[in-house]
Amino acid sequence: MTAGTATRAKRWFRRPDTGGGSNALIGHNKAIPYLFSLPSIILVAAILGFPVLYGVWQSLFRAESLGAPLEYVGFQNYVEMFSGPEFWHALNRTAVFVFGSLILGTALGLFFAFALFRVVGKLRFLRAVTVAPYIISNVAAAVMFRLLFNSQFGMVNQVIELFGFEGLGWLADPALAMFVVIVTQVWTDLPLTILVLLGGLMTIDKSYLDAALVDGATGWTRARRLTIPLLTPQLVISIVWLSYSTLTGLGVVLAMTGGGPLKATQTLAMEMYTVAFRNLEFNQGLAIATFILVLNALLTLAYIGVARRYEYEQ
Amino acid sequence: MTDHRAEEPLLASSTAAAAEAVEGPPREPKRPAGGRIRRGTRQFLLAIPLIALVLWTVLPFLVTTSVSFKEKADVFSEPSLIPTEPTLDAYREVLSSDSFTASFINSVVVGIGTTVLTLVIGVPAAYAFARFRFRGRHLLLLFTLLPRLVPSLGLMVPIYRLAVAAGLLDKRMTLIIVYTGMLLPLAVWLMVGFFQQIPKEIEEAANVDGASLWTRLRYIVAPLAAPAMITIGVLAFREAWNEFTLVLVLTSTPGKRTLPYELYLMQGIEGLANFPAEAAFTLLTVLPFVLVYTRVEKYVVAGLVSGSGK
Repeated sequence: MTAGTATRAKRWFRRPDTGGGSNALIGHNKAIPYLFSLPSIILVAAILGFPVLYGVWQSLFRAESLGAPLEYVGFQNYVEMFSGPEFWHALNRTAVFVFGSLILGTALGLFFAFALFRVVGKLRFLRAVTVAPYIISNVAAAVMFRLLFNSQFGMVNQVIELFGFEGLGWLADPALAMFVVIVTQVWTDLPLTILVLLGGLMTIDKSYLDAALVDGATGWTRARRLTIPLLTPQLVISIVWLSYSTLTGLGVVLAMTGGGPLKATQTLAMEMYTVAFRNLEFNQGLAIATFILVLNALLTLAYIGVARRYEYEQ
Repeated sequence: MTDHRAEEPLLASSTAAAAEAVEGPPREPKRPAGGRIRRGTRQFLLAIPLIALVLWTVLPFLVTTSVSFKEKADVFSEPSLIPTEPTLDAYREVLSSDSFTASFINSVVVGIGTTVLTLVIGVPAAYAFARFRFRGRHLLLLFTLLPRLVPSLGLMVPIYRLAVAAGLLDKRMTLIIVYTGMLLPLAVWLMVGFFQQIPKEIEEAANVDGASLWTRLRYIVAPLAAPAMITIGVLAFREAWNEFTLVLVLTSTPGKRTLPYELYLMQGIEGLANFPAEAAFTLLTVLPFVLVYTRVEKYVVAGLVSGSGK
């Protein structure tokens, strides 16, 4: 890591001084901090904390039929989930969705970040353009990309036909539908990826690059041997962010394909939605939700581990 | 619970840099390249990725705009990007439909409600976390992790079941409270950072001069923290305006839904897809935010960078 990043990181490292510490005001009414913070703490506990714990607890129950009283069944919902083919199919689709988005998202993120790095501070409108997808809802993005990839009048097929090839049935073909969903998901997630990677490029010490230039390393070699390794922390951040977003993302898939065609885009998130809200087997759906939450928590912990290692190396 | 301490600085260091990137410090002058022609070619080659970036972002909007100005039948017969006979029929149809007007009003109410409630509840909490030593202040550490550990997907079933049990479905207030709860950890964490940058000596000096806590908050802290509050407000409004997974389960009756849900239902009618109306609906959903976007872009970027995932 470079000196620039290190000092910057150190500055931030000190930040969440949650002990009140030197910042604490002296001689205040003892009740005030509680009055101020309790509404937030209660609301967060009620909206985020309690429902999740309640959901995990409820995944140990089930109703024999819709409306029947709930019975405690232990891990029965999980046993059946792991022994059913739907779960493994959904897990497989999730893997394709997550890894596909990671590869496309990281590649495009790097490409655009390098491009923007060359004109930093010059073309300000590019920042607005880069960030624009962030203000669009998942559903709106799905509609837009359905128009773009429409098999009859979509622009993508028009371009393909311009080159004399046959247009493709993008959303009707199981393999292609997953690709379109990945492209759309990446479109919605890319602004952050680009900004994080661009931020990483800005922190790289210029003298490294100049030294490499003196040694005759240019263009691709310099990017591959020097810039990209120096970007590792930012790459980790954007990879974790993309996996989080795709693993727990429902909006794009639901609005675009609803899991089809032929369940080709039936990810775990879609499977949970289908089981809970289409089959109305809420408790079985909660077992899938819990599985996703655990997977996501492991991912977050792994990320913290990696992030820590980079801090120590500095 | 100290584990995640390492997470924040790393993220923060790069995002701080991103913000800097976005400010754009002047780069050092280019070394003179070869001849003018070579430089021209070089400039052009450098521009290609930037053109690709613009196309990547703008093309979906362009195509949608194009379709929205066409007649239903022309979408298929005239696939050109620029409609030969542009018409506003689709917009008239959408604007006169109950589903749009009702969901638009709902979205506005929920958006503003969430923004106000997040600020009203979040700002004092952040101030307490930043300035006071009290039991429970360590919960802030939990706040930094919660949004990541609890995605809205994991809340769908439990919140739906709880809302059914409490008879809170189809209510704007339910949406406002749920969204606020989801946004608070991030909002509080962001504000704490801002408050800590305000030197407490200013406040102590005011205190000595006899200013009460309320006066200090009103005349010293609030003005200094205004940019942070705008950032959080924009972040909250965006989330409420675009949220889809929870409104999907928390509302079910026509007239109670927000825009993303209504748009989702609109394209669900397979077979008789009305593409121009869908496109017009999409753009009308996006438009209000795009109009303010140019003004609040700085805050959107700040929110995106610091939110990093919400």
